[in-house]
Amino acid sequence: MHPYRRPLLLLLGMLALSACATRPPANEPEALAEYEQTNDPLEPFNRTMYTVHNGIDTVLLRPAAEVYRFVLPQPVRTGVGNVLANLRSPVILLNDGLQGETQRFGTTLGRFLLNTTLGVGGIFDVAKNFGLPGHTEDFGQTLAVWGLGEGPFLFIPVLGPSNPRDLTGFGLDIVSNPVTWVVANGDNTIENIGYGITGLTVLDTRERLIETIDSVKETSLDPYATFRSAYRQRRQSEIRNSGANPSSGNAWGTGLGTAGNPPGRN
Amino acid sequence: MHRRSLLAAAWAAPFSMVALGSSPARAEMDINRAANFIEATGQELVGALNSRAPVAERRQRVAAILRRAVDVEGVGRFILGRWWRTASPAEQQEYMKLFEETLIRNLSARFGEYEGVRFSLGRSQQRTEDDALVNTVIERPNTAPFSLDWRVGEVGGQPRVVDVIAEGTSLRLTQRSEYSAVISRNGGQVSALLDAMRRQVAALAARENP
Repeated sequence: MHPYRRPLLLLLGMLALSACATRPPANEPEALAEYEQTNDPLEPFNRTMYTVHNGIDTVLLRPAAEVYRFVLPQPVRTGVGNVLANLRSPVILLNDGLQGETQRFGTTLGRFLLNTTLGVGGIFDVAKNFGLPGHTEDFGQTLAVWGLGEGPFLFIPVLGPSNPRDLTGFGLDIVSNPVTWVVANGDNTIENIGYGITGLTVLDTRERLIETIDSVKETSLDPYATFRSAYRQRRQSEIRNSGANPSSGNAWGTGLGTAGNPPGRN
Repeated sequence: MHRRSLLAAAWAAPFSMVALGSSPARAEMDINRAANFIEATGQELVGALNSRAPVAERRQRVAAILRRAVDVEGVGRFILGRWWRTASPAEQQEYMKLFEETLIRNLSARFGEYEGVRFSLGRSQQRTEDDALVNTVIERPNTAPFSLDWRVGEVGGQPRVVDVIAEGTSLRLTQRSEYSAVISRNGGQVSALLDAMRRQVAALAARENP
């Protein structure tokens, strides 16, 4: 290890320590129960990250999403969202399989074949009309189904709410996505297409969430607490596959991307 | 679309068309009864939201429906959770008043957005021994329909809405987390929450009457 790295590690360690929320004493069982249920021992650190995220979002992400919405009409945006969801199908398929969900595996396979062909490369979600509505799956959910705990809540700038399990899953999603490998082994043009896909995914996700996030910020007395609670509840429901509404196929499996599509688009 | 405002609306708006019957025995809240209750209340609320009456009058009607259909007392206490007992009786009373006001104002500040709203019953399902979950599909002009689940419990012999669930997210759980965070971060003072709620109600009222 380089000698100059040690002070940095020490500094990070101190930062992490100082950033811990105080665990309530055992003689306050209700406070302790809430502390454990909230599952946010790194709350001060997470709140700082939330503030950082909010800054980035205010000056960059949200305005970009507004421009995206302004420039492209709804049918085009729907097509873009559909293409991105279709590109994610292999990851969803893999995770359907890894969770032993044979019926959902079949649905995803059918959707991919139908939408890629009849749906012109995924632009049109024709499979929905054949009784094959989309759903989302990701490695975070698979790890949960396999029995891995979520770990402490984390708020990651740009990505949004998460936890070590879902963050690991997010990495596995990227690694297992054929698109990643095509882009990595491609020439300049393909590399640029890769950047384009990433950029569009960010824009598409943020654009869908404009009203939802605006209204949480506007009405919640503590938006951070609201996002944290909503994220964890929603993930639990996704893991159980109990959602009444199929989620959009391009939910990232971490962060605000899964914190909800505004009902009303898609 | 304002999901949160819809959730707020959701408190008020248990709407359904037909009671699809699948009623397992041994349940305290009969699913058909819950669905009928949701439908009746929902039609009433749709009527109030889509009426041409002045805003103040519409708000009165909506408030009356809410007080009848929602277990305001139970939900309010659930959301305040462990802080209910640390609050003084005066604070408890003030909290309940503000909680109800927030519920109503969240809806009335957005009357314009709800014009043309329609509701229908989705699939109905029994969830727990005590409560029924009634699924509804909510439609507004120019937006795709989406689904909301209503948790209906029995309070004093009558069916009452006790929670609303959208995409796996329970409103009362989320709101409990929010309120508790406000109190915890202000040294466990319930009065801090009351201050914040008062400001919120004032802001919503200002929106309603520009």
